[in-house]
Amino acid sequence: MTVGVGHLVRLRVNGVSREVQVEPRTTLADLLRVHLGLTGTHLGCEHGVCGACTVVVDGESTRSCLMLAVQADGTDVTTVEGLTGASGELHPIQEAFAREHGLQCGFCTPGFLMALHALLNEHPYADEDEIREVLGGQLCRCTGYHSILRSAMSAAADARAGSSEALR
Amino acid sequence: MSFDCLPVDKPRWIGQDVPRKEDRALLTGRTRFIDDVVLPEMLHCAILRSLHPHARIVSIDTTEAEAMTGVVAVVTGADALAWSKSSGSVPRGWGSLCLATDKARFVGEPVAAVAAASRALAEDALECIAVEYEPLEPVTDPFAAMEPGSPLVMDDKGTNVMLQRELTWGDVDAAFAGAAHVFTERFRWNRVGANPTETFGVICEWDPATLELIVHGSIQSPSLTALGAASTLGIPSNKVNVKSMAHGGSFGGKGGGRGIGIVAMLSRKVGGRPVKWIEDRMEYLVAGGGQAWDRHYEASIAVDSGGLVTALRVTLVDDLGATGEGFGGLGAAKVLAAFTGPYAIGAAQYDLTLVATNKTPVSPYRGMGPPPHFFVLEQMMDIAAREMEIDPAELRRINFIPSDQFPYTIPSGNEYDSGSYAEVLDAALDLADYPELRRLQQEARGEGRVVGIGVASTIEPGVFDWNAYSIVGMSQTGVPEGATVAVDIAGAITIRVGFAMEGQGQYTLVSQLAADYFAVEMDAVRVVQLDTQSAPPSFGQGGSRLGVAITAAVLGACERLADKMRAVVAALLGATEESVVLRNGKFSTGEHEGVELTVAQVAGTMLARCDLLPPGVDPLPEATYVWTAPGRTRADDEGRAKTYLTAAQSVHVVMVEIDRQTGVVEILEYCLADDCGTRLNPATVDGQTDGSLAQGIGAALYEEYAYDDQGQPLVATLGDYLMPTINEIPATSKVAVVTPSPFTPLGAKGCGEGAIHITPAAVMCAVNDALAPLGVLLSEVPASPRRVWNLIRETA
Repeated sequence: MTVGVGHLVRLRVNGVSREVQVEPRTTLADLLRVHLGLTGTHLGCEHGVCGACTVVVDGESTRSCLMLAVQADGTDVTTVEGLTGASGELHPIQEAFAREHGLQCGFCTPGFLMALHALLNEHPYADEDEIREVLGGQLCRCTGYHSILRSAMSAAADARAGSSEALR
Repeated sequence: MSFDCLPVDKPRWIGQDVPRKEDRALLTGRTRFIDDVVLPEMLHCAILRSLHPHARIVSIDTTEAEAMTGVVAVVTGADALAWSKSSGSVPRGWGSLCLATDKARFVGEPVAAVAAASRALAEDALECIAVEYEPLEPVTDPFAAMEPGSPLVMDDKGTNVMLQRELTWGDVDAAFAGAAHVFTERFRWNRVGANPTETFGVICEWDPATLELIVHGSIQSPSLTALGAASTLGIPSNKVNVKSMAHGGSFGGKGGGRGIGIVAMLSRKVGGRPVKWIEDRMEYLVAGGGQAWDRHYEASIAVDSGGLVTALRVTLVDDLGATGEGFGGLGAAKVLAAFTGPYAIGAAQYDLTLVATNKTPVSPYRGMGPPPHFFVLEQMMDIAAREMEIDPAELRRINFIPSDQFPYTIPSGNEYDSGSYAEVLDAALDLADYPELRRLQQEARGEGRVVGIGVASTIEPGVFDWNAYSIVGMSQTGVPEGATVAVDIAGAITIRVGFAMEGQGQYTLVSQLAADYFAVEMDAVRVVQLDTQSAPPSFGQGGSRLGVAITAAVLGACERLADKMRAVVAALLGATEESVVLRNGKFSTGEHEGVELTVAQVAGTMLARCDLLPPGVDPLPEATYVWTAPGRTRADDEGRAKTYLTAAQSVHVVMVEIDRQTGVVEILEYCLADDCGTRLNPATVDGQTDGSLAQGIGAALYEEYAYDDQGQPLVATLGDYLMPTINEIPATSKVAVVTPSPFTPLGAKGCGEGAIHITPAAVMCAVNDALAPLGVLLSEVPASPRRVWNLIRETA
């Protein structure tokens, strides 16, 4: 429920145009979770440190807890729900995390997936240092990161293969 | 491998690196966590908290808040007095109501709470509650708190000493009197804690007409939480139903604490409408279930001329914070399960004082108590090694309990099931190429670099038992874990358990086991979680127990179900029950060559062909089994008992370099060998080791819940509480040694907490090995840059 002056936010979320009436103080995370019911984006700290709420906004990895919904007006947003194919098939990044045991409780996982998705879309040839730099902004308390790094490297290898296939 | 209990020629799943069945829903964002749940008519709670570490509450005025649009109810300490009782606690009698009444005892203590139409409105309303405080002098140092005339955290107690025990096992005085060497040192372990990525959250529905309470939440131990809620809210236990959701990690701190009481009272006040509270990270960091182990130690060891340690004395002053409500006091008792570590030390003494101060009450954290104790014990071993010029690895080797001595009873009473300690040491030293590391260290020292190597060995007590905590007031023996295995009319298998997904992969584990038992695909087994009103007795995760306990329960249920089915098969085939065997998923009898019935056929017959069943046969193709650890004993007055069922052991070898200019500790090498018995899913065991090791590195080098001397917390965001990121965790080489436990059905030992038992000890051994040539000892964790730099500066 919202009270006070409503602002109309128009944005695309996972390829679908949405119009949402929000209070000015509503974050993008709350717009996605509360207004649109896209609860795959998780909130771990709400102060921009843990990275669990990371989504992709206009191609950029973005902490949805630090972005106001009104700032997202006119943007194109991808959340973890948008990674999975229409018939439920996993995205190669998700496949890599399943294969390499890159998750335990899974709460931080959507943030890792989306941060990596933004990186590999932009830069399919990202090396370990670049992956570490990006994932250094995401906290995981379960895995100790080794399996996440393996997953990310494996996903990057898949992205490279896909990218060179596209060039052919 | 000890899989002979499975009726298959060759297990396909158990013992293998199988993918987890939990992952698909988690990876697609489909798993529902507590904050994803929206119930009809649901309200949202926000909690007003004390800004003072110690203050009398003179008055609370909620009228303005109650008049705000969207606000439906407000509760204060007056409601808590009317509708609830003091919580359980360790030690007993140091619990608290869920809202402060006469005074606030720590910063962050809940004082009032609001239920409103949205979380934002509830938070707005908090600003309109007027609380008049009369600040009192706080006490934040446990030694000051023990002095006569100290401010009292709980006035009616007349003291801040919550519990004091001196336990002596064996002739400690004689061992020290006759020792060739005695070493004594003081240590400080600062507060660290769980910090799962998901904070605590709960939705309560407390119907004022029937007084039945439903609790949905991110709850680690649903049955324990249900009992706690029943007791504090005065509800019969069969009228409380806890439905734990999949949760985003716990590591000990997701017990519910005061949140359940507060939210339940709000729900009752609004006619039973659901009320949700999601703890925010600041609340979690300041006053949640994530702080543990605020400890001051003095330790002595007696050593003979050959390096054998003959006695260990430990004095612990454990600062539990304002109350015992968090059950963090259990941690001081758990060390009895492995007091002398992997060593054959014949006598020991434990002088234990639990003290209240005006800080947040401590809670359990992964490992529960031994990690600081082993930090102390392993530093003492290294102090002896340095003074006596014995290689630290060799000192450990000569003190190890020999492999032929198991089962082995330690002075504090627990029995270790099995182990191959020297073999594990050798495996770790080989993996690390220890002589080469020492050579590199000498080379580095020659260049003026500050480089050290730590070799540590500790025990991970596995399969927790309440009897381990007798010295702080626990009276039970045994922790039952139950499961039901059911086959439906179509032959599909379902396992019903009483705990939620938390991250360790137990739903995969029991699917592996049941799929092998009945020789089906793993995907054919579904795992369903029951709420506390429907589940068999269950504790869930905790104390490195669930992998062993739930596989034992599921195995027991499978065996019971197979027995039931054998009776049916015998009746159907006109054979004797004894002649019917289940093998590779099919029942057959030597009395009818070539005749086989599948498990699905038998279940289908039981449910759909009663005409074929003889009278008296139970047609329900399911069975429940409740497992408790075998051979547990009641504790004596000195706390001695057979407590934790298994004892995993490990050796970590760490090389660090300290930057003289900044005090930063960098890990150069990290190698480990561990023996947690049979590995039921090696990939998830590795995951437990990696995660637990990362938390150990955090505790050793970065993490600290700091307070100022007035009791104000200095940690309020994740920018203040420094958990390791992917860039702080070193590459790790691991090797497994497998000594199956003779006491568990599959030979597995507890494995969820092993690395945090040893990592801080091993890292600090390396830090102190590096610092030794400078003539200083860092006796405090974390070895933060400031602390290390100050110490180095003192030597200049």
